[in-house]
Amino acid sequence: MSDEVTPDRIAAMAAAARVPITPEACAGVARAMTPTVARLPPGTTTLALETEPSSFTVVQRRELAP
Amino acid sequence: MTDITTLSLAEIAAAIRTRKVSSVEVTRALLARIATWQPTLNCFVRLEAEAALAQAAAADAALARGDAAGALHGVPLAHKDMYYVAGLLAECGSKIRKGFVASATSTALVRLAAAGTLRLGALHMAEFAYGPTGHNAHLGPAHNAWDPTRITGGSSSGSGTAVAARLTYAALGSDTGGSIRLPAHFCGVTGLKPTYGRVSRANAMPLSFSLDTVGPLARSAEDCSLILAEIAGADPDDPTTAGAPNWDVRKTRRSASDLTVGIPSAFYTEGLDADVARAFDDTVATLRRFGVRTVPVELPDQAAVSAAARVVLAAEATSLHAPWMRTRPDDYGPQVRARLENGLAFTAVEYLEALRWRGPALAEHLAAIGDVDVVITPASTSAAPTIAETDVGAGPDAEATIVAITNFMRPVNYLGLPSLVVPAGWSDGGMPIGMQLIGRPFGDETLIALGAAFQAATDHHRKAPPDR
Repeated sequence: MSDEVTPDRIAAMAAAARVPITPEACAGVARAMTPTVARLPPGTTTLALETEPSSFTVVQRRELAP
Repeated sequence: MTDITTLSLAEIAAAIRTRKVSSVEVTRALLARIATWQPTLNCFVRLEAEAALAQAAAADAALARGDAAGALHGVPLAHKDMYYVAGLLAECGSKIRKGFVASATSTALVRLAAAGTLRLGALHMAEFAYGPTGHNAHLGPAHNAWDPTRITGGSSSGSGTAVAARLTYAALGSDTGGSIRLPAHFCGVTGLKPTYGRVSRANAMPLSFSLDTVGPLARSAEDCSLILAEIAGADPDDPTTAGAPNWDVRKTRRSASDLTVGIPSAFYTEGLDADVARAFDDTVATLRRFGVRTVPVELPDQAAVSAAARVVLAAEATSLHAPWMRTRPDDYGPQVRARLENGLAFTAVEYLEALRWRGPALAEHLAAIGDVDVVITPASTSAAPTIAETDVGAGPDAEATIVAITNFMRPVNYLGLPSLVVPAGWSDGGMPIGMQLIGRPFGDETLIALGAAFQAATDHHRKAPPDR
């Protein structure tokens, strides 16, 4: 993921989702979300092929093993 | 005679069961107290007084026949306005769902009704549970019972302040990014966010299906346990609960001296107000006094975990609300609309990367804590700020304000861990300060054991705001 979320990107995503949004709001989203994107762990982009969302459940349920 | 509204859930349930007091008397006492406090707190969105009194009379009649329904027979409760009851309104703090009548009843409320509880009405909440302060553009803010100029925390704003003011013995909240724990902290009550998948969310309003949890705010850890004993466990209508264990009350009686508590070396220690830091140190000292073993723990990068939580929450909330964002965008409050628009920042690939990382992140967390049973942290960096200073709407300070308040909350939601917030001290200005006890997956009962031991040694949870 790029470290910067731009207003242009938000405008394009909103158009694709068919959600109306003003240019000011696009700028606001970009400002609000850039710090989040910058803090995302590198591990999210180097996951093993076999890792799926339900892998979480597998790890969680190990605690229930007798 | 003791004011019956000051009793705990355990005490009032026992008093009704043994017919020391009738359900009608209890219901009337609460309704009288609600009438006094409601103009100050704005915590009820609907009061169902006549229906509650009729249910109470029926409960008393059943008890006289020897037909007690369950462990909470005849106890009146109120819940966040997002738990559906077939045929009743559930407006979710919103304009968009104004007049929405549910067609089915939430599993949590079905189970609480089977235990014998009654319904007093519905409680204030952030619009669609998407706000951590207790502000609501449509309903006005809920007010903190300790100081009505201050926030309750959210999104379970009415639940927090109503329990604090002794208007209900307990209340269901929901927690997607701190919405049970923040009101517990700011209002001086006890709140349990269960393990993800431990309590059914069926027919409760969703915000983020990967993060949403259902749990109680109450006056003590023991009272939270009484609620979990009824609502925890598998439900065919919520597949995330498949295989979830029922509540095991024996585990809540585990000796605290058998427990190891981890103290984080970073993140949760940063930016604390002096009174919060003092309350944290005092809490740790109290735990050590009754034999808890404490060890330092170095947790994986919590800011990264928090960021991943924000991506998942934003994308899922926006997905759920996209139909209304297309057709009724102006019917959202400004802050909620802006937060929903934040979800447009992420592609499907980015969202799924954040979601797929959840398992590895939980594995890293468990490896880091080793044999630690509970990690203790402050619930927030400060006690309740004022309503005025957090009334940021959708302005340029909104996101920073939200992040500052919720910073210690989000990693718990992302990792699906259980967490109990207990009142643990007081700010220099006399506001409550809560500490967060974070457990292992499905270690909810262990949190109750530690919380109850702490509350047996302290009286913070017994203090109530002065009558107004």
